[in-house]
Amino acid sequence: MSVIDKRLAFGLAAACIALAGPAAAQDFYAGKRIQVIVPFSPGGATDVAARFLEKYLERHVPGNPDVEVVNRPGGGSVLGANWFAENAQPDGLTILFTTSSTSNPFVLGQEGVEYDLAAMRPGYSLPFGAVAYVSPTTGVTEATEVKDPDVPLIYGGIAAAASDLPGLLSFEVLGLDVKTVLGFPGRGPIRLAFERGETNFDYQFTPVYATQVVDMVAAGRATPLWTGGSVAEDGRLTGRDPAFPDLPSVYEVYTAMNDGAEPSGLAWDAFQAVGTATYNYGLTAFLPEGTPDEAIAAFEAAIPAINADAEFQTESAEVVGGYALIPPSEVEGPLLAALRPSPEIRAYLRDLLGTKYGVSF
Amino acid sequence: MLEHLVPALSALLEPARLAALFAGMLAGLVFGMLPGLGGVAAVSILLPFIYLFDSYAGLALLLGAISVIYTSDTITSVLVGAPGSPASAPTAIEGHALAREGKAATALGVGFLASMVGGLFGAVILSLAIPVAGPLVLALGTPELLMFAIVGLVFAAGMVGKDIAVGLAAAAFGILLGTIGAAPAAVDFRFTFGQPYLADGLSLTIVALGLFAVAEVVGMLASGGGISNERAPLGDWREGARAFVRHRWLVVRSALIGVFGGFVPAVGASASTWVAYGHAMRSAKDKSRFGKGEIRGVAAAEGANNATVISDLVPTLLFSVPGGPAAAVFLGALFSFGFYPGPRLVRENPELMYVIVWSVALASVAGALICFAITPLIARLTRIRFAIIAAPLLLIMVAGAYQATQSFGDIAMLLTLGVVGWLMKQADWPRAPVLVGFVLAKPMEQYFWLTVQIHGWAWLLRPGVLVIAALIVVPLLLRLAGLLRARRARAAAAATDGPALAPRKRERRVDTRIGLAFAWLVLLVFGYAAYETLGFAPDSRLLPTLAIVPGLALAAWIVVRDTRHALDEGVVRDPSAIAEIPFLATLLAYGLGVWLVGFDIATVVLLTWILLGCARMRLATGLAYAALILAGIHGMFALMRVSAPAGLLDFAILS
Repeated sequence: MSVIDKRLAFGLAAACIALAGPAAAQDFYAGKRIQVIVPFSPGGATDVAARFLEKYLERHVPGNPDVEVVNRPGGGSVLGANWFAENAQPDGLTILFTTSSTSNPFVLGQEGVEYDLAAMRPGYSLPFGAVAYVSPTTGVTEATEVKDPDVPLIYGGIAAAASDLPGLLSFEVLGLDVKTVLGFPGRGPIRLAFERGETNFDYQFTPVYATQVVDMVAAGRATPLWTGGSVAEDGRLTGRDPAFPDLPSVYEVYTAMNDGAEPSGLAWDAFQAVGTATYNYGLTAFLPEGTPDEAIAAFEAAIPAINADAEFQTESAEVVGGYALIPPSEVEGPLLAALRPSPEIRAYLRDLLGTKYGVSF
Repeated sequence: MLEHLVPALSALLEPARLAALFAGMLAGLVFGMLPGLGGVAAVSILLPFIYLFDSYAGLALLLGAISVIYTSDTITSVLVGAPGSPASAPTAIEGHALAREGKAATALGVGFLASMVGGLFGAVILSLAIPVAGPLVLALGTPELLMFAIVGLVFAAGMVGKDIAVGLAAAAFGILLGTIGAAPAAVDFRFTFGQPYLADGLSLTIVALGLFAVAEVVGMLASGGGISNERAPLGDWREGARAFVRHRWLVVRSALIGVFGGFVPAVGASASTWVAYGHAMRSAKDKSRFGKGEIRGVAAAEGANNATVISDLVPTLLFSVPGGPAAAVFLGALFSFGFYPGPRLVRENPELMYVIVWSVALASVAGALICFAITPLIARLTRIRFAIIAAPLLLIMVAGAYQATQSFGDIAMLLTLGVVGWLMKQADWPRAPVLVGFVLAKPMEQYFWLTVQIHGWAWLLRPGVLVIAALIVVPLLLRLAGLLRARRARAAAAATDGPALAPRKRERRVDTRIGLAFAWLVLLVFGYAAYETLGFAPDSRLLPTLAIVPGLALAAWIVVRDTRHALDEGVVRDPSAIAEIPFLATLLAYGLGVWLVGFDIATVVLLTWILLGCARMRLATGLAYAALILAGIHGMFALMRVSAPAGLLDFAILS
């Protein structure tokens, strides 16, 4: 199903819900002000996405509340999320807008995490896909050749336990021998290092890929390989990323490399859990535990209407990679499952990060 | 490209856009003057308002603010001695010392003009560089960035002052402060004591305010009802103009250093300001006035910091990689107007590029002119009783610090570092090396680690690295030669005059107890750090060890030296320093109060004490003034979209 088809489907669903929606949802947010807490500094990808959505939430959430983005940076988003867990009342008026930098420390059970994301209620979610690409100097022209590069692959990252985690796990799934250089100050400097030839293998998230890396691809200075994929009908991370329908997912690359065999085992399970939270539900708005159903219903009603908004569609293609928003009913099941992986997966993740990347817990 | 200059200017000259630029400039001037609220605070606060305008006007609003912050911060730095922004710490050191000699106008005049030149330089470079700077930014690989940081640190070694042991120990202490937080190499959290607050490391704003500004405020409070005794004459503006002309090439060189610093992603204005200051020091024949009111220090720092914030826009516009924190917010604004910086945008939308250039250039000139105009008004404030100014100043600093992460940790850290800054001031330890070490520690470690991983040791032979290294080695050799010559000359002089060389003495009579207490404190900090470092992964140990080994040895030596000194010559007492201790304690009590009962109650008590107790205002005026200050601070919190810190008591009531 293409993005446009999905939007049409959401639009229809919106019409249905608008007709059937309880009057309570209409009134819940009337005359109120919603604060969206972004646990990062202004100007970053999460902040840009949150501010981009501000206008559409005001327009389409029943009752037309005021929406205001508030930045609470610190501790790689842990401080803002902790503050939210401690202070936000379950009245639907304070929302935490997260990325994998918030969810991965929670999944891993890192020190200092005082929030329980899995107990919170998702309000809406925006995918945050990522594309893997290599430099032509590696001699790799398509995904299946990645195991046999001309020169060793060097990947630049920030920190193993944060947003680089699914990328590193994809190397485990595919059995790649990649030299990982962690410790860059941000994903922008990583891209510059790639352009300078200091690294030759990189992942960038959709908005940056679409605005920066496509130019490099057009100029022949980068070769796209695959995306993290998206959650398919069966709830597994096997679908293609809707923003890049021409690129295979990690799942497809594995099957192509292994004569059609499906990936399995702990590495794949871990990649699925972390990848689902990082990519498919990359930017998710959480409301505190105990938030009334009326508040969630208001978002359930608003999301299809936003997706059907023509202005949103054009702007979203530019700002966030053209993804449609996902309503809470579709977020809840798969995301909460991904946030609560089995003890075996957690043990695997902690062991991998500890032995291979020197992360101490 | 240049054919777009005129159309871009006429696009900017539309009334609504000019008004936006002007409004941003006014906001920037105010934020520059308020200590602790620099460029990031100003653009973050203005960000929601840009959507009231069209895209050019919205961007002009932000650019107006960015371009003048580092001009107006000169005023606070010179007149009060508290850095208006972290990047103006050198101005606070040299400019304030000049102001105390009645030469405020000289420092301010040079500062404003140098800022203006720095800004214009940035604008020119921006317009010229956009078509050609791409390869230059790409030529700066991680090894070159590492070398840049090392050059900065070596330059900074020139700032240690007369007492070399103390200066180096201070620099080591600064590096140690810079290692707090997540290590870039392995994922160790160093010296965080399990607190997520410390995981990101300390905020530069808070370190600068704590080290420099809190001690000034304590001094102001302690002098209470006192008035600046020599009515703080501004001095002669013409002297400022003359000094500026005299040091014009230094300003230009500093602006170039600043521009270069801006090209380097994620190295802020503070780093290049210190590099420029170090350069001023190295290029001066007579270094004796540095730290005591050297106009060259002001000229270099102000020329560099303004150029940096503006050339920060070069990587931002060419690669979508912000050159500094304020540029990051500006990048977010560009995104939200649908502009995606990169070579394509530069090619396809040259008018936007030149609107940016013009905004910066106009604001730089107009900002400097406004600063000249308002300084006499602000200088009058310095004739008001100190405690009356100290009250709002202190609260603005608390609010500025609190905006870093909006947790109580910000206030606690400000006051803790405030105690350190006060002790250093009283013990006559130089504070600049601490700040430099702190600023450069992070990029140095980060780029060292990346460089060694990517390039092995072959990085040392890269041409870029060699060129930058030559900047260190050549002056170092020259200096060494100079030192040898001086020693020979001294030896010759000693031979004729006999062995009457007095032992090196400190400038001021430091209270022995404070001096020893601080030396012990530093020794204990290094000792504890050494103990904790043993538990780190080997890769995270490198930089802390580089700071701890010399730090521990120097601190131990200083303790021994000062103890022996005290035993030999008796204990020196400095009653004026001891008299300030209760005021320092009160500030700590205020922090404790904020934690317990929240901002409002604690602040009302503090204001009552300052205004009625210290400043001896009349009850009615005091109350009215207190209410005004409190309302103003709450207005600031509202603007920053921050709720005032709540205390344990508030939480108890809520739950």
